[in-house]
Amino acid sequence: MMEFLGKIYNWIDVRLGTHEIITEKRTGYLLPRNVNAWYSLGSVLLVIFCLQIITGMLLMLYYVPDIDKAFDSVSFIMTEIPLGRLVRLFHAVGSSMMLLVLLLHMFSILFMGSYKSPRELHWLTGFFLLLLAMGISLTGYLLPWNQLSFWATTVATDCASSIPFIGENLVELLRGGKQVGIHTLGRFYTLHVGLLPALIAVLIGVHLFLIQRTGVSTPPFGLEDTSNQWKGESFVYEEHPGGIPFFPNFFLQK
Amino acid sequence: MDKSKRKFINICLGGVAALAATAFAAVTYPVFRYYLIPPTDKNSGGKTSVPLNEIALGDAKFFEFNGVAAVLVRKQDGSLAALSAVCPHLGCIVQWEKDRQDFLCPCHAGYFTADGAVISGPPPRALAKIPFSLANGVVTIG
Ligand code: HEM
Ligand code: FES
Repeated sequence: MMEFLGKIYNWIDVRLGTHEIITEKRTGYLLPRNVNAWYSLGSVLLVIFCLQIITGMLLMLYYVPDIDKAFDSVSFIMTEIPLGRLVRLFHAVGSSMMLLVLLLHMFSILFMGSYKSPRELHWLTGFFLLLLAMGISLTGYLLPWNQLSFWATTVATDCASSIPFIGENLVELLRGGKQVGIHTLGRFYTLHVGLLPALIAVLIGVHLFLIQRTGVSTPPFGLEDTSNQWKGESFVYEEHPGGIPFFPNFFLQK
Repeated sequence: MDKSKRKFINICLGGVAALAATAFAAVTYPVFRYYLIPPTDKNSGGKTSVPLNEIALGDAKFFEFNGVAAVLVRKQDGSLAALSAVCPHLGCIVQWEKDRQDFLCPCHAGYFTADGAVISGPPPRALAKIPFSLANGVVTIG
């Protein structure tokens, strides 16, 4: 079996040079010696986003975006479908967690000054990700079509009316009518399961690309010695008479 | 490459870009209109008639006027008021409280008199008045 997989791997490697990429990512991506727990929040966000996609698709199996059926379909998920309650609450609580972690992520970056040059674009894309996350939460919140979601959406969309001149038109554009109704549900559903997840996924891609181009920042506190003692390029027996460090050896800070 | 060739290619590329922009606009405008204009009520802009005997003394009748919620109140003393039912705070729809003869907004507990004036709560101004006329026992609003 392993041999067979190895053959497939070699077949691909010969053509695309994948081994080179993997080696480079495993040994060439350097972390400062004093990174701390706050640096893990981005990965937490990535996991939550994936969970939202999975639970969201599971909800879509039974959810019906219609003002007469939406509430009943959500009740059906909660009461009749095995583990439906778990899936829905994962999705609902997950969205709150996503925003909470997003804020923590942003605050940690703010306080450690990680947004400074050359990482301004990371902050900018992150800021748009925050906006999109708030947008996807707002549009998702209407979908159960209960009292809370109806009035919350009424109030939230009405805020746009305080913009001079175009405010009233903007509210109508958001709601698809003068009041929150069936067209609002249709619009919000489309945004929630279609456009916004796609935009978020693309922007996450850009965000990650930027991070791996610049590497992560060095925090302003922590271990004194931050000089780079990496010997990744010289992993040869002569340099390591005691043995070759095991992966992920970068967790060993001394 | 000599300069004139380069210039020629640049002009051509500019033309292609302009063409692409026009095509993009030509495609997005219908899409925008598709999104912008939902089928609104057929009777929008029109008037609404309510027979007076449909509303008991001290009661209120809600209806849609120009696509937004409105209400006709018949007070205990028999006088009438036609008001927008949209709360001037953040746009929720107010409810008629028959026992207290006032309006309550469910969102942040704004209270209004039967004439729409603010009693308490966050609303910054009164409910908007809608003109109406009474003839032959039928109230015409608008
Ligand atoms: C970052 C990603 C997402 C966030 C923050 C988010 C947030 C929310 C929120 C706050 C609700 C209302 C929860 C409730 O009270 O039930 C909701 C509902 C829903 N979402 Fe998402 N969502 C995300 C991604 C997705 C995706 C990718 C899909 C589909 C592919 C999806 C499908 C749905 C459906 C069908 C509902 C209605 C069912 C229900 O209300 O329980 N969501 N979402
Ligand atoms: S929307 Fe009516 S009191 Fe806030």
